[in-house]
Amino acid sequence: NKKALLPPPPLNSSARSRICIQILPMEIYHGNASSKKVNCAKITKEFQLHLDSSDDDGPEEVTFEDSKTSALRSMKEALETTKREKELLKEKRRKRQELFQKQKVGQLNKLGFSKNVKLHKKKKTNISNPFCSRLKGNYSVMRVATQSATKSQQQTAMDFIQSRLYGPGSQRTTTNQLLSLQNKRGQNKSAAVQFVNEKWAKAEQMTKRWIHKQKVPSN
Amino acid sequence: MGEFKVHRVRFFEYMPTAIRAMSFNAHTERLALARVDGSVEVFNFADRYFQEKVIPGKDAHSIEALCWVGGRLFSAGLHGEITEYDLENLRPKYSLEAYGGPIWTIISNPQGTHVIGCEDGTVKLFEVLAEGVQFERNLDRQKGRIISLSWHPSGTRIAAGMMDMIRVFDVLTGHAIQRLLVDRSVGGCKSRETVVWTVVFLSDHTIFSSDSAGKVQVWDGHTGTLVKTHQLTKWDVLALSDESSVVAGTSEGTVVQFQFIAPNLQQQEKEWVRTRTFKNHTHDVRALVEIGTAIVSGGMDTQLVVRPLLEKFEEKCFASGLRRIHFPHRNLVSCAQKARLLLLQFPGQLELWRLGESDGHGKPGDILPLKTKPEKLLYLKRKGKDHICCSALSSCGGWLAYSTVSSVRLYRLQTDNNISITKVPKLPKVLRSAHQLCFSSESSYLFAASSQSSVLVISLNQSECKYVHTLKPKSGMWILIYRLCVAVDGKWLATANSDCEVHVYNLQKLELHCMVPMYSSCPSAMGIHPTTNNLTMVHADQQIFEFSIAEKQYTVWSRKLQMQGLHNLWLNRDTPVTHVTFNPKNPDQILLHDMYMFCIIDQSLPLPDQKTQFYNQMTLRSLSEQERPSHLHAFKVCKSFQDLMCMRLLDDQSLVVVERPLMAINSQLPAPVRQKKFAT
Repeated sequence: NKKALLPPPPLNSSARSRICIQILPMEIYHGNASSKKVNCAKITKEFQLHLDSSDDDGPEEVTFEDSKTSALRSMKEALETTKREKELLKEKRRKRQELFQKQKVGQLNKLGFSKNVKLHKKKKTNISNPFCSRLKGNYSVMRVATQSATKSQQQTAMDFIQSRLYGPGSQRTTTNQLLSLQNKRGQNKSAAVQFVNEKWAKAEQMTKRWIHKQKVPSN
Repeated sequence: MGEFKVHRVRFFEYMPTAIRAMSFNAHTERLALARVDGSVEVFNFADRYFQEKVIPGKDAHSIEALCWVGGRLFSAGLHGEITEYDLENLRPKYSLEAYGGPIWTIISNPQGTHVIGCEDGTVKLFEVLAEGVQFERNLDRQKGRIISLSWHPSGTRIAAGMMDMIRVFDVLTGHAIQRLLVDRSVGGCKSRETVVWTVVFLSDHTIFSSDSAGKVQVWDGHTGTLVKTHQLTKWDVLALSDESSVVAGTSEGTVVQFQFIAPNLQQQEKEWVRTRTFKNHTHDVRALVEIGTAIVSGGMDTQLVVRPLLEKFEEKCFASGLRRIHFPHRNLVSCAQKARLLLLQFPGQLELWRLGESDGHGKPGDILPLKTKPEKLLYLKRKGKDHICCSALSSCGGWLAYSTVSSVRLYRLQTDNNISITKVPKLPKVLRSAHQLCFSSESSYLFAASSQSSVLVISLNQSECKYVHTLKPKSGMWILIYRLCVAVDGKWLATANSDCEVHVYNLQKLELHCMVPMYSSCPSAMGIHPTTNNLTMVHADQQIFEFSIAEKQYTVWSRKLQMQGLHNLWLNRDTPVTHVTFNPKNPDQILLHDMYMFCIIDQSLPLPDQKTQFYNQMTLRSLSEQERPSHLHAFKVCKSFQDLMCMRLLDDQSLVVVERPLMAINSQLPAPVRQKKFAT
């Protein structure tokens, strides 16, 4: 997302009369330190040239070729900087991934694969994929609990019925509402149950929250 | 009545689960009910809707449908298996994987042999054999899940309710011969598919369907055309049932009846007309059964409602009244009378509480200040996936036992200063599971009603136990024992089985002593008097008998009561008595309770006749000391404590009542549908 490097503004008469320090785009790049230095050097150079020239001389001639080459150069530099940064990021990511792998292996060792690692130390097996390593001795891999297909089917069926009865579009309310209706329409009219009985207020809140949660489809 | 300090306990957070499926066996008059947590209950509709059997559920093992085949009970659920239940040993007999994914419904053939399981796309036929269930064949596979099924009474056609359509299959060829398209909801969201929740196939090839758009539609099964649409509600119509009429249950909690009658007097042609609407539920009705004389419904509000159809009754009787069954007809609370502890049984765990103490004195009706608050001592989670079916706590508070269908666990407790619990290892191998557990009064024996209608006697010693003997009745039949009670002096043990037989065993000789004369109703509660050793039984039809064990015959008081007859208000009570206990300080008193009252029967007082005012406690209080004796009668009923789960008398003469207000249960029910009423 870096903007293309803009060519430095042409030195004109207005620049002569006053010392202006322009914050050029190249300054905010988090690029290579070296490129920054080069840019800085360029600025100072130009600045100095600027200072050296006297007030009476005419403006310096800047040919078309010069500005063209400088523009192309700056564009090339911009592309190079972006490339460099991409490389840097890739490098960072690769390093992170390796770190995680190392940590994973460390955990597995802690859990009890340590004996295997010891056995295989001499063989120098590929630690980055410990699940592939052969188990020697009397070890076997066993699932602690089987998550069979039936369980997921059962869950889908239960979700279906739950969403049909209580899900979006089901227009549910709380028991408090129902009984409050009875209070309000009965012979002796009284207030809603949540005000009549304190314990109802909490139950009412929780049921409302539950209904709302059901209405937001989870899929 | 006498003054008692009452511990009013409301910390038992009992929460029943929603009813998901029901099936009625007209032959044996039993209703099987499945709840969302996987538990199955069997009610005896010939004996005052008594809850005879409860099979506990299992984690992640919900039930979607139940069906009876002869006297055998089958269930199927989203776990993809068909389960048959052993009703005499209260456990699943076996489970058969159907290999078709989650099963949405299971129905049996009117001919009584085939059982259909139905999953994601296929309708599978299974044959019911003597030893089990065997896969026969698949019908043509469909795209889309099959939610409901119905057999045509002849057994040649099956109607299947799917998403947005109904398919009719020919059983012989296995092909789908008709496709009936169901409209999506009018207005509302047209993008949502309509789920055909239930279908009913009648003998004249009329198909009734109920769907998620709130419609009940009548189709002609021959031509595959729609005859009539009844828009019942905005919400889903979740249940349909047929017998003599078609009944539909909705998400609003209403039950609508359709009857095949001529709409006008002049017209001869009959058609299906919507007749009655009942609103007995506050939440969705998910299970519905019509049993000829009544409509039984159950749903997300966890109560079972029996609504009699009044045109089938000629006079007012017990069976013609609306019944609501809330609480189980058995004890979920055990009490250690000496140690003042309560053990609360949940399906997943047990909680042990110590009762609070109060030093105060006051007038009747006062609330006494607490010196120490009740505290929860222990939270014991069960091991494994099976739910707890029964539990017991010894009177001294030193032993705790619970059982699931697969195992029994016994623990040694210490509750004095430091709470400690140690499991007793190596239980006797015969003690694999128990339906009822009971400790003797000095905690020297544990009695377990186990499989094959036997009672195991286990002796307890310090921190280990040893198997002593198995008590069995003489007949070779295996009938479920569902009630046990032990005499305080440890000499006698009484058992009640689901055939209404009551056996009394001699524990010193370890043999059968006698059998109580058969009565047509099952005892719902039993107790043995501490001094006279009389067995008091209260039956599901509210009759009370007292049997003298030593003399092997009914007592004089019991015969007097039968001659006089019980008062009508007592006999017409809704709920059965679930516990009988006695007062050691006053041998004339029998204490018992049901869900709405507790009663002290004083045997020294005269029995009330039909004209006496039965609930007379308030009147007596207003009378003067001189007038009172002439108005007293034996039944002293107190209704101050309601929605009782348990009532016990502690050794220090104070009463414990465990209440579970229905409002508290209602506050934790799942969300009902929102109904917009005018001016609210």
